[in-house]
Amino acid sequence: MTTTGTRLQIDHVSKRFSRVGQSTLAAVDDVSLVVEPGELLTLLGPSGCGKTTTLRMVAGFEQPDDGRIYIGDQDVTELMVYRRGIGFVFQNYALFPHLTVFENVAYGLKVRRVPGRDVDRRVSQVLELVGLPGYERRFPNQLSGGEQQRVAVARAVVVEPRLLLFDEPLSNLDAKLRVQMRAELSRLQKQLAITTVYVTHDQDEAMAISDRIAVMRQGRIAQIGTAEELYRAPRSEFVAQFIGRVNLVEGRVLDVTGGRMTVALWGGSVTVAAEPGCAPGTRLSLILRPESLTLVPETTKAGATDVLVLGTVRSRTFLGEKVEYTVEVAGALLHVVTYDPAHRGVVDVGARVGVTCSAAAARPLTSS
Amino acid sequence: MRRPLRDPVLLPAVLLVWAAVALFVLYPLVRLLILTFWNEGPSLDAVTGLVRDWTNRSALINSLALAVLVGGAGTALGFAFALLTVRANLPGWARRAIDAVVLLPLISPPFTAAIALIFALGPRGLISYHVFGLTKVNIYGLWGTLLSETLTYFPVAYLTLKAVIANIDPNLEDSAFSLGARRWRVFRTVTLPLATPGVANAFLLVSAASLADFATPLILAGTKFPVLPTQAFLQITGLYDMRGGAALCFLLLVPALAIFIGQRQWIERRGGSFVTVTGKVGATTRVKSLSPAAVVALGLVCGLVVTLVLICYLLIAAASLVRGLGADNTLSFAHYAHVFSGGLKAVRDTLIIAVLCMPIGGLFAVVLGFLVARTQFPGRRALEFAAMMNYALPGTIVGIAYLLAFNDPPLALTGTAFILVVCYVFRYSLAGTRATTAVLAQIDPAIEEASASLGARRDVTFRRVVLPLVRPALLAGMTVLFIRAMTAISATIFLVSLDWSLVTVRILEGITNLELGQASAFSMLVIALVYLAVAVASFAMRRLNAGSLGQAGTLLGG
Repeated sequence: MTTTGTRLQIDHVSKRFSRVGQSTLAAVDDVSLVVEPGELLTLLGPSGCGKTTTLRMVAGFEQPDDGRIYIGDQDVTELMVYRRGIGFVFQNYALFPHLTVFENVAYGLKVRRVPGRDVDRRVSQVLELVGLPGYERRFPNQLSGGEQQRVAVARAVVVEPRLLLFDEPLSNLDAKLRVQMRAELSRLQKQLAITTVYVTHDQDEAMAISDRIAVMRQGRIAQIGTAEELYRAPRSEFVAQFIGRVNLVEGRVLDVTGGRMTVALWGGSVTVAAEPGCAPGTRLSLILRPESLTLVPETTKAGATDVLVLGTVRSRTFLGEKVEYTVEVAGALLHVVTYDPAHRGVVDVGARVGVTCSAAAARPLTSS
Repeated sequence: MRRPLRDPVLLPAVLLVWAAVALFVLYPLVRLLILTFWNEGPSLDAVTGLVRDWTNRSALINSLALAVLVGGAGTALGFAFALLTVRANLPGWARRAIDAVVLLPLISPPFTAAIALIFALGPRGLISYHVFGLTKVNIYGLWGTLLSETLTYFPVAYLTLKAVIANIDPNLEDSAFSLGARRWRVFRTVTLPLATPGVANAFLLVSAASLADFATPLILAGTKFPVLPTQAFLQITGLYDMRGGAALCFLLLVPALAIFIGQRQWIERRGGSFVTVTGKVGATTRVKSLSPAAVVALGLVCGLVVTLVLICYLLIAAASLVRGLGADNTLSFAHYAHVFSGGLKAVRDTLIIAVLCMPIGGLFAVVLGFLVARTQFPGRRALEFAAMMNYALPGTIVGIAYLLAFNDPPLALTGTAFILVVCYVFRYSLAGTRATTAVLAQIDPAIEEASASLGARRDVTFRRVVLPLVRPALLAGMTVLFIRAMTAISATIFLVSLDWSLVTVRILEGITNLELGQASAFSMLVIALVYLAVAVASFAMRRLNAGSLGQAGTLLGG
């Protein structure tokens, strides 16, 4: 079963909720984005950022106050949910408790008046696809969380929707199962090539599964791009903090030449891509990812390509394959991660250490 | 959704329900108010005329006093029973036996307790005269009415409070124990405060039932203790004074509506109660908040009441099987012979109407419950309130209002089966509506959204998802309708005719003609039929609940 992907366009969509006795709250504020055919786009953000509301407007459960939504060439803004041809996977799966697995999956087909023989065939096909053959006659309450999740997905995809929508589908599963299921969902989505919007607050999940990620904050899209783009070049402190952990360290521009600029850092300097509007003397934030930092003995001298600062280890979290440290440096705290502790050893809390950073690893926080 | 009425199915459904409520709830009440306050111009004559008359003035005071007394006594008894069954670790059979006995007054025809009390404590009563040899016992008046109504309505409080106490999180009491509080202190500082909203609710429910009670005072109050419902009835059937009857109804309507609104406000402000049903069944500790002495005391009180109720029903059974209880105690099936010959038409009519009520009222209840709980449309709260009016108001008011509204062309409906069914549907669907909203509250709205996302229209979702899920509520609602249609009298006594009669009316005739044996035989038949219905419904309910569905709550709650 294959579906050719459909393009989704969200065009200047806003949604306000009125609160009792207060001003209205803009849950979604002028959001525009395009999901290309077959693409999986994730809406990522903290709770209350408007990601679920956006998804529910695409589904048709909520009406936008402003803006239009297009599925393919069709303007669906005013279209009732049941005419949109979507598949929606709910956070708690929302399986019909009074129907068997077969009846749950067949529901959308029966509503579409698909002939009985085709229903049987397509249901067993899709159950095969999600790895639940032979589960037809069970009831939802006889299934584990992961199995319910698969049935929910099967039910959504069996109708060959133009658009697949996921609302935090893995948040009710335990950690191990979550990792396994996200790989399965990713595989399934690639195989079916259905245009997909996926909502989550879990950045690992977003990075693992998405073609592109739209990070949302306070009803707006903060930044949109591939996981790598967002990680390497966040355009705001919010995105930098939300995608992975980060140290933001202030530096001063020393010199700008030929698209590069030199920024003073920790008594040395790093050279990074020039930012528009930066002149010598401008202060800016540099992004230093914890894994780019290295702990070295206190006595180490800075190399030609490194910058170095001295500090005191304030805490240590041993996580098996890695150790997370916080190091106090001139009153500020730096996060440092080192890998392979069994081989490289650990540093004690209270120890004086040097922290080095490869000059090439530092990036300016671009504001544009 | 912002523009819900775009929904092609919702709008007609809302309009249809509104039209029905407007015609069968609001219109009759408006007619009642017009007759009361319009005499060739706005006028207070009818009401002021009443208040000048001693009988009517004291009827108002008596009704209110009786409601407070019955409310207090009924709630206290209900609380005692609830504590005993929920907290005393009684064996299962004892709890089931208590429930079975307590169910009796709830499902009996309205005069049962009153007749039984006359047999037991009347001038030649079995207990008062034959056992204790007393001749001066007067069962008529305030005390007899109070006793009879308390026995009849305390089960309402019991069912309400049982749920409240059972739902108190045992961890809360356990943590009080762990902090060093002793039993009485835990009860006083944790259990009782948590149950208070439920107690207040039970009090209002029982008071409202007493205020509305027409049958008991008709038999037991006598001329020295007039109350409003019976006065209104006598004003119309005895004096043919429609305006006077309407005005008495208005006097009754004000406190009844006040109690109803008060109860609703209370429930809403408190969010139902402090009790939250999390659905998580953790390790429930064995609750140990009752001391052995308390259990014994509660057991004595409840045992006495249970015995009294049982004696009452045994007396009715005995009276139906002998020539004349107390006078000629020879076994005789003459009363039953009469029931199945001359009385057969009333039995048949009642059954037909009760059976007709079930699907119509059940569907109405579920649709209304769904609209109220799961959709948004302008005037939703108003519709919910209006639809409850006939339930909240005493039957006497509803009956007289129907009489005024539907006695003349073009809506000359009194005396037809249609108007009897309509009356019951709008008066007794509320239990089903509440059960529906309760079940829906346990069902994630995402389940309906899932159906919509799969391409189902609102009506398809309702038919294929909502209706199957609320089956237990539908069943509960239909059972209540059947029971009420078998046992009600206060509203429909104004609407019966030669064509369509009711068993309850035949019971009343039996009593007024002093053919108590016949009345008892009719009562026994009704009780048997209703018990059968409850048994069938309970069996079906267990089957439904055994599936994957939420509980619909108690069959008779509300």
